[in-house]
Amino acid sequence: RHPLATFFHLFFRVSAIITYLFCDWFSNSFVACFVTILLLLSFDFWSVKNVTGRLLVGLHWWNQIDEDGKSHWVFEAKRVSTIAASTEAEARIFWLGLIICPVIWTVFFFSTLFSLKLKWLALVIAGISLQTANLYGYIHCKLGGQKSIGRVTSRFFVTADVPRRQTRRISEDRTEEHGKTGTR
Amino acid sequence: FAGLADVSISEDVPVEGEITVPVGSHSPDEDYSTLDEPVRDTIMRDLKAVGKKFVHVMYPKKSSALLRDWDLWGPLVLCVSLALMLQGGSADSKDDGGPQFAEVFVIIWFGAVVITLNSKLLGGTISFFQSLCVLGYCVLPLTVAMLVCRLVLLAGSGTVSFIIRLIVVVAMFGWSTLASTAFLADSQPPNRKALVVYPIFLFYFVISWMILTFTPQ
Repeated sequence: RHPLATFFHLFFRVSAIITYLFCDWFSNSFVACFVTILLLLSFDFWSVKNVTGRLLVGLHWWNQIDEDGKSHWVFEAKRVSTIAASTEAEARIFWLGLIICPVIWTVFFFSTLFSLKLKWLALVIAGISLQTANLYGYIHCKLGGQKSIGRVTSRFFVTADVPRRQTRRISEDRTEEHGKTGTR
Repeated sequence: FAGLADVSISEDVPVEGEITVPVGSHSPDEDYSTLDEPVRDTIMRDLKAVGKKFVHVMYPKKSSALLRDWDLWGPLVLCVSLALMLQGGSADSKDDGGPQFAEVFVIIWFGAVVITLNSKLLGGTISFFQSLCVLGYCVLPLTVAMLVCRLVLLAGSGTVSFIIRLIVVVAMFGWSTLASTAFLADSQPPNRKALVVYPIFLFYFVISWMILTFTPQ
């Protein structure tokens, strides 16, 4: 249903990885490669966080600062009523892309460290943090969604119970009062 | 009336707290506003927020826009442009200004993180990313100073150009420090303000020093 979103979800991440691996073929300049990969990683972070997560799996997470200046992290999940085959395929692509790329960047981290090409280290660390942040945020949304389904149903049962209990309470009070006045 | 005790809802209603999961507490209208808005709206909204913050830095009044709606796009753009301008002239050889480029990056981001940690340890109420956002955006005057310095150096590199550059850099350094303290110092208890301002002063001083001592190849 969202082919463009699926394409862009994978496009920025895969381009960043390919540029990192083959930067020597593209250009001699370290600076150009660094800036290109950094921009690709930033666009990927923004698009996965704000666009593809919403469209492909109905999850969204963000940070809100309220009046007092306290910061809240909000994780939102859309209530999914039907799961069509196409949305399942898209969801699978989403989660695969989300999980595999931070793993690849972690591999790059160790290879950079051990081959002592330290000038790339800052970039690899930036890549890992951006992609892991998205992974963590979406996992939180997913787990939070499942947890709160239980909470929503139990809250429903509690609110349904309370009026009945209240009326029972009131009727018991009345009978008690009656009883008291009776005995008085 | 002992029986009244269990009329109250026994389950906690965890709406407040560090992490809120508002599924079920959002009305359908609110769902639409975040989960279903068109992509162009998202992009325009974010671009406008970034632009507004740049304007706020140039005119540092006490406003909550910089603090409430933080984002790190501005700091990223400023950091990249400053690092690009601080390159030596030779950007195309294998042994180019590569280390200098990554150095500027690391100094800015690592310095901002350290200042944020310092202010949080001193009991500040501002959050981590808000502080990074303010510090990053307040690099704008120094980026302008860098631009001016490069233009002046194109004209010549004698004593006169040095004096001009010195004046410009000192003025922009003062502007950056004042702008960021205007936003950040309020979140500290009053007897700690100097302890928070001092690292910010140092941070912008280091950046100004890098700008002033820049000489093209």
